[in-house]
Amino acid sequence: MTSVVFWVGVLTLVGFYGILAMILNMEGGWGGMWDLGTAGLLAVASYFFVIVTLDDAMLGTRFAPGWPLWLAWPASAVFTGIVAFLVSLPALRLRREYFLITTFAFAEIIRQLIVVQDDLTRGVIGFSGLDRPFDDVVTGRDYNYVLLGLVAIGVVVVFLITRVVARSSFGLLLRAARDNEALALSLGRKVNRMRRETFVLAGVLIGAVAPLYLWYIRAVTPQLFAPAVTFTAWSALVLGGLGSIAGPILGAFLLIVFTEAVGLVDWSPDQANLATALEPFLVGMLLIVVLRVRPQGLLGERGAFRRATRRDRSDDATEPPANDALPAPAMSTPRSG
Amino acid sequence: MQNVVFGLVTGSILAIASVGFALVRQTENFLNIAHGQLLALGAFVGVVLVTEHSVNIYVAGAISMVAVGVFGLLLAILVFEPVRERGGTVLLFTSIGLALVLEAVMIAWFGTGIRLYRISFGEQHEIGDVVITTGEIVIVALTAVTVLSLQLFLRRTRLGRSVRAVASNADLARVRGVSARTVSATVWFVSAALAAMAGVMLGVLTSVNTEMGWHNILIILAAAVLGGLGSIYGVLVAGLVLGIVMDVSALYIDTSYRSVVAFGLLVLVLLVRPEGIFTLRRRQEATV
Repeated sequence: MTSVVFWVGVLTLVGFYGILAMILNMEGGWGGMWDLGTAGLLAVASYFFVIVTLDDAMLGTRFAPGWPLWLAWPASAVFTGIVAFLVSLPALRLRREYFLITTFAFAEIIRQLIVVQDDLTRGVIGFSGLDRPFDDVVTGRDYNYVLLGLVAIGVVVVFLITRVVARSSFGLLLRAARDNEALALSLGRKVNRMRRETFVLAGVLIGAVAPLYLWYIRAVTPQLFAPAVTFTAWSALVLGGLGSIAGPILGAFLLIVFTEAVGLVDWSPDQANLATALEPFLVGMLLIVVLRVRPQGLLGERGAFRRATRRDRSDDATEPPANDALPAPAMSTPRSG
Repeated sequence: MQNVVFGLVTGSILAIASVGFALVRQTENFLNIAHGQLLALGAFVGVVLVTEHSVNIYVAGAISMVAVGVFGLLLAILVFEPVRERGGTVLLFTSIGLALVLEAVMIAWFGTGIRLYRISFGEQHEIGDVVITTGEIVIVALTAVTVLSLQLFLRRTRLGRSVRAVASNADLARVRGVSARTVSATVWFVSAALAAMAGVMLGVLTSVNTEMGWHNILIILAAAVLGGLGSIYGVLVAGLVLGIVMDVSALYIDTSYRSVVAFGLLVLVLLVRPEGIFTLRRRQEATV
């Protein structure tokens, strides 16, 4: 019924959303910054990458410098980092839900601008049939394996980066500032600067992984960067466990495999509405149920930082007592280390 | 001037939707992302009653308000009440989950097509160089009446005063013997009913589809923040201002920039006055 290639594609998507969720975890889980602008930064990175690599002016765009891949890829990371910095200037003056609204507004502005500025972005049509690296070496279906490999490398790299951040004094301070900002400030820590650095790092990482997403989709349209992307990544993070290190990947795996598997069911044409409705229904129910039964997500933050908390019991005081119930099993590795 | 009138109509609807949103934010302390879906649901209930059962539009609107109001109350009891103690993050994400579920239910039930109320707006009136239809006057008038009744309710009735008490200091209100449960139930009913009202009006003015919810929650958020989440009257004025700004900006720049203007204004206001335009108290969240 289903081919291996299909599941390779699903796993690629899992990896991609896993990366986004890990980035969000760094900002939201540890930094306390509820960022709903992920889709916006992803759009910035994707369009930047596609436009600078264009070499065909025939498409009717104003600008087609045709940069090579080795230049365009890092440039897209740097450019997205710069945009993230600019967004952080107004956004970081605010906290929690106000921050959330500002970043959300920013993502919507970006998406609308992409639609409107069609001399640069080709509006709602966008670009399709994008060139991919190794396209002439590996052809057809086999390319999916290449893509999975690339995304897997991305997952490992981002995982290692976030783990380093999490275990560093920088990460500890981020969490401290999240739980008690006044205290962190009174200790002489530059909380706002740390948050800005985290936000910019998130931007750079999003800029770096955006090309992978483009090669998977092979097209870029404003529709790709709808708020649904941000919500899916956040849902994966909340399911897996906000604040835990491996939670985002577990959450992305469950969420994406679940919804893709549901998409495999054969529906008769007169049930088309039901088929469309099923995915948002299941994702929504999953969110509601997990938050009801296990609000800290499948792997909680406490499990992820077990060694740290044992050394310093005072850390426990800030955790909700609900976390005491079940220590996260998959995170038991730090114990032995 | 013509665009100011359009803006006034858009703004009225936006104000009605945002006031309900702000009420929940104040008393329940979280951003209810599902509010947009309640608006869409109200629009659907109305359009089905009007087009398939040929119910009068005012009756349909009233039925839709009561039905969605009760539904909102049920959702609060079934979905939000059990996780209430777990704080803002959990409630916020629960409401996102609920919004997805509601959207799915509406897609399954009503389909993804566009529905129209097909209601005549009545004759056009010319006041100076401005043209306004009877229907548009009705929308603005209904908004005014609703806001006035809400104001009277919040100021003059015991229950309304309890709502305001919980909004300004929940603990103190509880100590003083205000029933948190009754207040919560009232707020959910009123908020959902107002969402349905805005939905029906928006549906009559434009069209109804399942995208309505997500599309409108963004502008509702913008209006609520502009007005200052803590102030119901601020939110009201912000809704009107936002509607007028969006429609007047269409005179000077392309209409496709409409929502860019709205969100640009939002970011600008947050930069200059993070506590919102109409609140005197500084936002605690913005002070550090």
